Amino acid sequence: MTFAWKQAGLTYNRYLAVAARVVRRSLKEDKRLAAERRGDVDLRFAKWTNGKQGDMQNVADANAAAYVEKANAPSS
Amino acid sequence: MNSLRVARAALRARPAALRIPMQRRGYAEAVNDKASKGIKLSLSLPHQSIYKSQDVVQVNIAAESGEMGVLAHHVPSIEQLKPGIVEVIEESGATKQFFLSGGFAVVQPNSVLSINAVEGFPIEDFSAEAIRAQVAEAQKVANGSGSEQEIAEAKIELEVLESIQTYVK
Repeated sequence: MTFAWKQAGLTYNRYLAVAARVVRRSLKEDKRLAAERRGDVDLRFAKWTNGKQGDMQNVADANAAAYVEKANAPSS
Repeated sequence: MNSLRVARAALRARPAALRIPMQRRGYAEAVNDKASKGIKLSLSLPHQSIYKSQDVVQVNIAAESGEMGVLAHHVPSIEQLKPGIVEVIEESGATKQFFLSGGFAVVQPNSVLSINAVEGFPIEDFSAEAIRAQVAEAQKVANGSGSEQEIAEAKIELEVLESIQTYVK
């Protein structure tokens, strides 16, 4: 069984995050405000090579780029 | 004559009395009795435990492989959940319904059921208007000219929203 999102390069983790986000947004106003903060992610990373720190990258942006790459790569 | 008949009856009655099982009770039997009554349900979200090893009668889940009801002594299995309803029939007879955004249900041996999901809320917490507004938005993206990934995400959203809509009117 192949899921459509998998063919677009998305991971299961991303699938869950999207599904959770839409569930939070469907809540009634008071519950939604309390829940929506759980979806916020702000994480940055840098790759170190030869003792030097590389560029700081946003995890969300890096993941999005990885999905595109995965979708274009020949399916395994 | 009469007393002889009574004596014979008593003789016949004795083997029946011997057949009554022993009224002794050990720890092992006591534990078994408790486990056979229901299934221990743990319904956990990253930020909250809705059920924490609580005895319930039955749990109905929407797995990717199909809808299934889990009772005590279910065969151990691992099921991927669809975004959908989990129905819990408690020992009091009350039925509770939660909408889960997707996760896993693990049926363990000895009548233990663990369900993990990212988000889960009772149905009455959902707003029909918010769902309708999001369906329109997601349809626009799904039929638009965005990237493959944007369209795939919009389709996930539509799948979830359609699932909620069948329960929230």
